[in-house]
Order: sequence, then structure tokens, then C-alpha cells
Amino acid sequence: MNRKLKRSLWCWLALSPLVVAVLFPFAVMFFTSFKPASEVFVYPARWLPMHWRWQNYVDMWQAANFGVALRNSIVISCLSTALALAVSLPAAYALARFPFRGRGLYRQFLLVTQMLSPILLVVGLFRLAAMIPYGDGNLVDSKLGVIVSYAAFNIAFAVWMLSSYFQTVPRDLEESAWLEGCSRSGAVLRVFLPLAVPAVVVTAIFTFISAWNEFAVVYTLIRSPENKTLTVQVTDMVAGKYTVEWELVMAATLAATLPVSVVFAWLQRYMVKGLALGAVK
Amino acid sequence: MTLGPLKQTPPAGPASGKAPEPTRATNRMSRSQRAVAVPRAPWLLILPSLVLALFIISYPIFNIVYQSLHDVSRFGQIRGFSGLQNFYNVFSDPVFLSALQNTLIWTFCVVVGTVLISVPVALILNQDFYGRGVARTIVMLPWSVSLTMTAVVWRWAFNDDYGMVNVTLQRLGVIAGPIHWLATPQYAFPVEIAVGILVSIPFTTTILLGGLSSVPGDIYEAARIDGASAWQQFRRLTLPLLKPFINMAILLNVIYVFNSFPIIWVMTQGGPDDSTHILVTYLYELGFRLGRPGEAAAVSLVMLVILFVFSVAYLRVQSKRGGGAEGDLA
Repeated sequence: MNRKLKRSLWCWLALSPLVVAVLFPFAVMFFTSFKPASEVFVYPARWLPMHWRWQNYVDMWQAANFGVALRNSIVISCLSTALALAVSLPAAYALARFPFRGRGLYRQFLLVTQMLSPILLVVGLFRLAAMIPYGDGNLVDSKLGVIVSYAAFNIAFAVWMLSSYFQTVPRDLEESAWLEGCSRSGAVLRVFLPLAVPAVVVTAIFTFISAWNEFAVVYTLIRSPENKTLTVQVTDMVAGKYTVEWELVMAATLAATLPVSVVFAWLQRYMVKGLALGAVK
Repeated sequence: MTLGPLKQTPPAGPASGKAPEPTRATNRMSRSQRAVAVPRAPWLLILPSLVLALFIISYPIFNIVYQSLHDVSRFGQIRGFSGLQNFYNVFSDPVFLSALQNTLIWTFCVVVGTVLISVPVALILNQDFYGRGVARTIVMLPWSVSLTMTAVVWRWAFNDDYGMVNVTLQRLGVIAGPIHWLATPQYAFPVEIAVGILVSIPFTTTILLGGLSSVPGDIYEAARIDGASAWQQFRRLTLPLLKPFINMAILLNVIYVFNSFPIIWVMTQGGPDDSTHILVTYLYELGFRLGRPGEAAAVSLVMLVILFVFSVAYLRVQSKRGGGAEGDLA
């Protein structure tokens, strides 16, 4: 027992620089977001606010148009996650269950799509969106364009995660369902999918988070304030302004970040298993 | 492609259609006629994902090639074929050359720094100690934050007079007066590299932890009985077993870091004096700020070629050196 205590101290000591570096920005966000404007720009600056100003969050909600941006982020992230899962689930099932010809090729294709990050294609992506008629104009400045491209760029990750989990679901269960007269698709629906629910949920949440956090595509495709997401909205509060109201910006980043961080903290251990399994299989 | 320990059943007969690779294509399937009867099923299952991915990727690639060979107005009007003029313009732009150089420095430093920090961090997090769950969560935390938000916060933290970095360093007596971190070319880029390393650690550590969890514990037991020191255990056992995971982490990190846009764009927008531009920020500025989409497309293509050559070369070298599973990242 004593040995473990000693080891714990060493481990924490070794990790301490990293822990400080990770928590530093959270501390900056937290303390700045509660400072009154008059305390943000005083020299020498101090860490803790003298007066805790909760009103900042109310002001930020107005200044950042936070409600609208929040709704856009939720809509775009949810729909793109749904679309990505809808196409990735069958593909992951095929990869995990059928050793078909061209399987390696398909996996290589996924790796290539990982390589082509949206930012590399952004010039062409913009033209693609401008070319497709939608509503009164085209897909530029519409949420649909963003949703479809997020879904497409998340396929590789989703298939990767899902198929690695699917491989751990015992085949025998499905096969015994066939023997009892269940059709192949029936067995998938009634036996396989219920077992795969946790994997699907975890993958969905990570896909959601990556869409929530994406920047380059929305930044390029979305122009009007009523379609902007949180990441773009926060960047707009900072970029190209003479005076940045940092206390409001920090309140906005903290409000946009904290819910996602909490969910992520709760789920990160599933990530370790899934990614590693999918990677070197 | 290693499929894991599949049972070696005798190959099924011609009933399974073409049966191209009998040993693995049919071993388990042969138990059920239903599965064998539908060789097209897997293709139908992957079709939707293939179509969606190809749709979003192929046209933009085609369009980038097209734009890079044409004279394009700032509003995207094609004004005529211009051959390699866009490439010529780009290559003779000193900003492009410095951005190219910066990209190599940026990618190299961030990836190497990340791996050098992540290996010990993963080893520590794989130990059994009090508060390990909390420690893992903290190390993973930067992953959950949008790169954009991270960059915004660090930009404020590195503010000259009011930022918490200068305040803290002054309190601790490390520096005498405020340092103009982001306004000084010598400091701005290293600061961005440091932020880049910090946000890349969670992903890398995750992969390495996955690798460590697949290492059986009893080999260490055996090594200890044989009198191997901790360092020898690391050199002779852990490192070789981790190698495929480190390789994959390097490959994926190179791809991500090479393409990483928000950190530099938000923190310095390529400034001061274009000194922190990397290719992606340069590309974005050409395409959407300076109104030169043709040249931006040319930069995109140059980047695609670099990435492609790197990935192929890397996978080739790895599979030649390691063979087996190591070349099998795809």
C-alpha cells in the first residue's frame, strides 16, 4: 500500500507540468469571464476578479448572439452525426463481418479521405456548394451544405470506430439466430444491433463533438449571422476588432466548451479501446 | 491485412461464386448458405458511405485542378486557360517559400514534440496509481475543446500587458517585464508550436494507451525474473511492442498537423510580417482574403502532392522494415 502511495506521488509529479498546461486555459477562461470590463485591462493584471460579475454571461448572450449560434451548432452537429452514422453503420458492419474482396481497398480509401482534410479542399468545396441550387440560391450560406460535408468527412472515423467494436461482438450469437430461422437482416436487427448500441452511442458522441468543434468549413461556407455556429461566432468576436471585449469572449468560449468537455471527460475511456482496436487490426 | 486469429476451416467449394481467396474469404461464411449466396451484400452495405465520401471529395479535387490551370477572378469567374501560370506565381512568391519552410518546421516540431511527450505520459497513465482516472481525464481534456476556442483563449493568455502568461511569469520572477509573445516573429511561431503540441497530446496518448493495454502483463513478470532493469524492459519489451502504434500516431499526426488551420489563423493570422504563415493559412488567405482562388487551388494541389508522397513513402518504409501488421495501417 505504501509503495503505491509513493508511486502515485511520483506519477503526479511527473505529470504536473502537463496538468498545469492543460488546466491553464480553463483557468484563464473561468477567471476572465467573471471580471468586470474595468478589471480586465488593468496593469499589472491579476488572476482573480475583485468583483465577481455574473452579468457578463447575460451580456455575452446578447453580444455573441449566443442563442442563435448555439441552436445552429446543435442542428448542424446532430444532423451531420445522424447522416454520418446512417452511412457508416452498414459499412462498418460489412467490414466487421464480411471478409469481401476489396475490403483492403475500401479501408485505404477511408485513410485517404482522412488525409484530405476539408481545409485542403476548401476552395473546391466552396465552388461545389455554389454550383448546387438550393432554395433561392445555392448551398453557400446554407446549413445543409455544411451538414453534408461534415458527414462525409466523418465517415472514415465512424467506420473505423464502429467496425472495431463490431468485431468484438461474438458472431455466434447471430449465427445461432440464423439457425433458429431468423433471416440475416432479422438477426442483425434483433440480435446484433442491441449489442452494438453502446458502440454506436460512443461513436455518435465523438462525431458530434468533432462537428461541434469544426471551424474551416463553416467559416468558409456560412456568411450570414443567423447561420453561424459557435466556433465562427466566437472567432468573429476576436478577429479584426480594435477592442476585444475579452471578458465576454471568455464567457462565450467557456459556455461553448464546458458542456462538451464534461461529456467528453465521461466518455474518453471508450475512445482508448476503440481507436486502438480499429487502428492496427 | 491481418484478420486476427481466424479459424482455418477448409475452403468452401465453388458454391460461393468466385471465391477469390478461399482461405479467408469463405471460412466462416461457409457455415451458412445465406451468407454465401449474397456476395454483393458487402458492396451494397458500403455503397452509401462510398457515394457520399466520393461526392464530397471528387468534385472539389477536380475543381481545384481545373481552377489551378485557369485564370480565375476573385468572384470565381473563369477567365481562360492559363497553363501553369498560377503555379509560377505561387512559386515565385517569397511568402509561399517561407510558408513552405514554416510548414515543414511546424509539422516536424509539433509531431516530434508530441510523440516525445506522449510516450512517457502514456507509460505513466498505464501505471496503477491513485487518481489515475482523474489524470487520464485531465490529459485528454484539450481534445474536447475546439481548436478555434483553444486558440482564442491562448491568444488572450499571451496578451502583452494583460495576459495571464506574462502575469504569472512575472509573479514567479522568471521574466522582468512583459514579453510581446505574438507580436515578435521569434516568439510567435514557437508559441504556436507549443500550443500545437499541447492539443495533439490527447489523441497520441490515446493511441499509445490502446497499444499498451494490448501488451500482456506476464512478459514483464518473466523479464523481471530474468533480472531485466526497468530501462531494459522499456527498451527491449515496451518500445518494440509500441512501435506499430507509434508509427500510426506519427502518420496520423503528420496528416492532422500539416492540415491544421485554426491555431495559427486565430492566434496570428500568419503575421507578424507573414512570418508565421504555414501553407494552409497562406492558402486560405489567397483564396478568401486576397481574392486569388486560382493560386489558392495551386497551393492546395502542391499540399496534396506533398501529403500523398509522404504517406506512400512512410507506409512503404514501414512495411518494408517491419512487415506484417506494421504496414497494415490502412
